Amino acid sequence: MVRRKRLLLGILVAVIALLPSLAACQAGDAEPQKLVYGLTLIPSGIDPHIHASSELGIPLSNVYDTLVYLDPETGEFVPGLATEWSVSEDGLVYTFTLRKGVVFHDGTRFDAQAVKFNLDRVVDPATGSQKARYMLGKLDRVEVVGDHSVTIRLAAPYAPLLDSLSQVYLGMASPAAVDKWGKAEYQFHQVGTGPFKFVEYIPGDHLTLARNPKYKWGPELLRQVDSSVDEIEFRFYEDPSTRTIALESEQAQIMGEIPPQDAGRIDQAAGLALHPVAIPGQPLQFFFNLSRPPTDELAVRRALMYATDRETIVETIFGSWSPVASGPLSRVTLGYVSDFEGRYLHDVSRAQELLEEAGWMDSDGDRMREKDQRQLVIELYHMGWGMVPEVVQMIENDWAAVGAQVNAHLVSYPAALEAARAGDHNVIPFNLFGTDPAQLGSFYTSGGGFNFSHVQDAELDELLGLAAASQDLPQRLELYRQAQTKIMEQALVLPIRDYVNLNASSSRVQGLRFDARGWFPLLSEVQLED
Amino acid sequence: MRAPAFLGRLWRTRALLWGLLVAAIALLSLCGPWVVAHDPMAMDSTSQLLPPGRHHWLGTDPFGRDILSRLVWGGRRTLGVAGAAVLITVGAGLLLGLLSGYFGGAVDEAIMRVVDVMLAFPGLLLILGLVAVLGAGSKALAVAVGITGVPAFSRLVRSAAMSAREELYVLAALAVGCRRRRVITRHLLPNIVGPVVAFATVQFGWAILNASATSFLGLGESPSVPEWGSMLNLGRGYLRAAPWVSAAPGLAITLAVLSVNMLGDELRRLFDPALRWQGA
Repeated sequence: MVRRKRLLLGILVAVIALLPSLAACQAGDAEPQKLVYGLTLIPSGIDPHIHASSELGIPLSNVYDTLVYLDPETGEFVPGLATEWSVSEDGLVYTFTLRKGVVFHDGTRFDAQAVKFNLDRVVDPATGSQKARYMLGKLDRVEVVGDHSVTIRLAAPYAPLLDSLSQVYLGMASPAAVDKWGKAEYQFHQVGTGPFKFVEYIPGDHLTLARNPKYKWGPELLRQVDSSVDEIEFRFYEDPSTRTIALESEQAQIMGEIPPQDAGRIDQAAGLALHPVAIPGQPLQFFFNLSRPPTDELAVRRALMYATDRETIVETIFGSWSPVASGPLSRVTLGYVSDFEGRYLHDVSRAQELLEEAGWMDSDGDRMREKDQRQLVIELYHMGWGMVPEVVQMIENDWAAVGAQVNAHLVSYPAALEAARAGDHNVIPFNLFGTDPAQLGSFYTSGGGFNFSHVQDAELDELLGLAAASQDLPQRLELYRQAQTKIMEQALVLPIRDYVNLNASSSRVQGLRFDARGWFPLLSEVQLED
Repeated sequence: MRAPAFLGRLWRTRALLWGLLVAAIALLSLCGPWVVAHDPMAMDSTSQLLPPGRHHWLGTDPFGRDILSRLVWGGRRTLGVAGAAVLITVGAGLLLGLLSGYFGGAVDEAIMRVVDVMLAFPGLLLILGLVAVLGAGSKALAVAVGITGVPAFSRLVRSAAMSAREELYVLAALAVGCRRRRVITRHLLPNIVGPVVAFATVQFGWAILNASATSFLGLGESPSVPEWGSMLNLGRGYLRAAPWVSAAPGLAITLAVLSVNMLGDELRRLFDPALRWQGA
């Protein structure tokens, strides 16, 4: 009896062991090529017209085409779904000629009506767009001129419009699919015209894309090759320490945001490749709050800047992969100026001098400064991601060395935003990414949505306002240079490091490139070698 | 209970061994800060992530801080938080449990329903909730961990008090007209002290674990202040490159909790009449 059971068990084991190879035999050469791409956080929603997450663009910029594209090599706008465009003299009217013969994944035809439908959807308050609608400036209306011609009219000039239209947040979705599924459900059934079709999204588990065999209208940077992968499954690796391990064990072939301490190992590993991509936008930076003592004093802000040993912080935490930041924009951003590279270099005695001149003394010998019975205490609110807690520890150490005590509060993202709006903080880290310097507007103007410095400066408001409206590039850049100079002179922000996204892949992955924004992969050409 | 017999049993069980280990850990954490060579907060960019060696016995962390010094200072804080938490648990638990067990009826009903509600939450969740209300920091953490331990502890005291309540000596004390306070403090309390001590010891291990877990999640003191949990969290990112960063606090927590739990177990054997002669 026992023996027969053993025999049965043996057969069972053998059958199970053989099953995969049997299946493989049947599929033969036609077996679809599949790739696993590791994402780093679970977005709260993935409809690019509605949600603001950067993570959603990683898969979806391969599902949607945009009217224009920004070429990462040249920095020029190139045709996408629009073959030609023109801007009126006053910067208010943009006219686009659309590509013919483009079809959405569900078979709907792409035309001028579809463009109007998409932009109307974005600005409709009922859509509740968190990001896309703010990328359109003061949109007046969208007019269908002909079957393949469309006009966007603005109420005020808005220079970054083309940049906006080249991003996935203003990607073109199938009107039929949007109508069919409705606002809440559409994000699970997205339909675009891009090189990959949206197959399935199970929040927190996976998102699958399949190759769009009909894709012929892509720009040069999104061209498809015959051997490109058939299917891409995106999975979530929220814990940074698991990402490298997932690559090494071949659970995933591409991975974003590798922790810097693992990058060196990947760079040297035989079967792996590191792809560092510099991200345009703002560096990792800490805003000083001007509305709360003691950071309302310019001398204190400047002293804290001098007290911070940025070189050592970056070297210690980010290794050699990120450059030290010097101003409000990172090196690879339009409008970056190198004027501040030698400014605010680590200088403890300068910091101490500044504080003493401002009346901050250590009179009771506790190595912490005080003035008018008040201790020099800095309330610092921060989030737990992106090595920020590590940076905060080093800042605490640096500032204590000049007699400033830091009260660090580790809080959730919503709590941090709340603290920043209420002005409970002296210092808070925050930044956005983007290729256009127009982003400075929401951080440094009095009414800006991310005015975490609580700065009220008429001159700065005017400079940034003019710059955002200007159509003349050299003039724009000059205005942004002046604005940045003012920001750094007023010591509104402490820049730490330029972001460099450390992507990694198996060396079998070929043809992986990234878009002009650095975050989003261009996957149409990606192949998996055996 | 005659003293020589008790001491003999104490010797035969392993309670002494584990007790000594617990004492050693506590002593090291208490006096260590005066013994270790390095400042636990001092960052040094020239000695980052050094493996264990002659100058840094347990190596250094990513900021170049000496891990041994941080471990010792961290032990002081972590064990301090756990100790304070156990005091809160024992104090409140004894009070509630004795009242409940002695009086029974409506008092018992009222206290035990509150205890039931608290027991319905998983421990760590309750701690996180309390920390969210009280704010982060060592004191808040000790209070949160302490309060979270109260329900189970008061349950234990209650059942011990209830069975002791029916003993002849208690009834006799009541019959000769002792006042309630005297009955509770002189007759009930000494007779339930065994299980209380044993459980409090185990509770101490539980408190170390939870205090560490909470600081691991970043809800203790600021991360520059050494705590075992936050040290472990820091080391997590360097698991492959520098395993010693997380190994030291990890082993410290394991050793502390293990020895405290073993001591608690042995004490329970020692005090529990049913287990008294087994394995001793």
